Amino acid sequence: MNDQVAAGNSADAQADYRVLVVDDDPDMVAFLVLLLQGEGMAVDTAANGESALMHVMRAPPDLVLLDVMMPGASGFDVCRRIKGDEATAMIPIVLVTALEDGENRVRGIEAGADDFLSKPVKREELIARVKTLRRLHDTRKELESRRLAAEVQRKEAIRKAFSRYISPRLAERITAEAGEHGDPFQGRAQRTSVVALFADLRGFTRLTEQNEVGAVVAMLNEYFAVLTETAYQHDGTIFNMAGDSLLVGFNVPFPQPDAAERAWRTALEMVARFGPVAASWQQRHGLTVGVGIGMCAGEAIIGNVGSTHYASYTIIGNPVNTAARLMQMAAAGEVLVCGPLYERIRHLVPAGRAATRGDVTLRGKSESIPVFAVSAGAREQA
Amino acid sequence: MTENIHTVIISKDLADLIPVFFRNRQKEVEALRSALAAGDFEQLRQLGHRMKGVGNSYGFAKVSEIGKRVEDDAGAANKTAIDACIGEYADYLSKVQIVYE
Repeated sequence: MNDQVAAGNSADAQADYRVLVVDDDPDMVAFLVLLLQGEGMAVDTAANGESALMHVMRAPPDLVLLDVMMPGASGFDVCRRIKGDEATAMIPIVLVTALEDGENRVRGIEAGADDFLSKPVKREELIARVKTLRRLHDTRKELESRRLAAEVQRKEAIRKAFSRYISPRLAERITAEAGEHGDPFQGRAQRTSVVALFADLRGFTRLTEQNEVGAVVAMLNEYFAVLTETAYQHDGTIFNMAGDSLLVGFNVPFPQPDAAERAWRTALEMVARFGPVAASWQQRHGLTVGVGIGMCAGEAIIGNVGSTHYASYTIIGNPVNTAARLMQMAAAGEVLVCGPLYERIRHLVPAGRAATRGDVTLRGKSESIPVFAVSAGAREQA
Repeated sequence: MTENIHTVIISKDLADLIPVFFRNRQKEVEALRSALAAGDFEQLRQLGHRMKGVGNSYGFAKVSEIGKRVEDDAGAANKTAIDACIGEYADYLSKVQIVYE
């Protein structure tokens, strides 16, 4: 019998348990095929070790019945190679042998064989052993599918938890790269280059003074919806939301070679998209409001900070403090940018829209830094 | 002429395989004779080993028994004993009678 899917059983294609019979004796192959098909199993055959290995790589079976004494690669060699490959190591192998001595049994065990069957083959013994291995196979499959279901559930929980901070795309990437245990941000504490963007609402104090609590909350929700959607659109990570201010980081938790450009586009779009909202508030409440933004780039520490009771994914460092100070100085519709970051984005700033503020000593800072102000009107295209 | 007939009871689900099985046994006799004439004891040992494995799997205990003797005698390079085994094997194949149940 040539290497082939054993013919003659119409149920073969539907069988969910596939056995590969490897033997150079066609009569032995025919005998084993008949018995296994009689048990409702699909059977493929190979007449030597080399074609058996090719078959296993191409279409891994659920069980291999493997003759030991064959021309070319012996059953021991084939067994060792199947068990030595991570992709096929879990496939059970039964060595079918007329070698009775203990030494050969030991060689089989050393090669990784799961069970032995003596030749001449007793059909009752063959069927009993194969059925046992099939039960084990079914149990393992069931456990594996449960494990996969639990894994999907776990990743979904992580994705949901972190989608509060990051864009859905970034959440997908983090969960895809998450290891077997723990949250994906664990152990990611690191010092890295970041771009920090702070935005807040100019005119917020008047807004809270002139409106009922319910109205203030609704307006803040409207404002934050615009800002968070914009941050997510550019794959920014939201680190903090307090009062009317929002802190967004770029180049974290994954590298973004175009972090500066992303931050710049985010800032412009925040101002532009909030324009219609501000106009509507002006009309409804007589309020003059706008978004002021501060941005800075530099080294910062990123990681989970807190206790077992409360922790948050946090960004700490000079660029964050500087961005916060710049945000406080920024007028409505204005983006203040620290010097080094401005150098990285100046090619994107339309002519006549930027002005230097010279070297500025920020509150709480001993040294002055160059600051640039960019006017980002509501009609600015991001 | 019934005294030398060897009756073997075989499971009827093997019936379709038996004609090919016997053709291969006849070829095996020829292969044994050729290997013995060539003094190829390794080939004889392998043929004996195969007979031992397949014979009683189908229900032909005698084939396995002769096969084991051929394998052992080949290991001992005992030409005379192997020659006797081949004769016995050929005789057995010519007289075996199968009953399916």
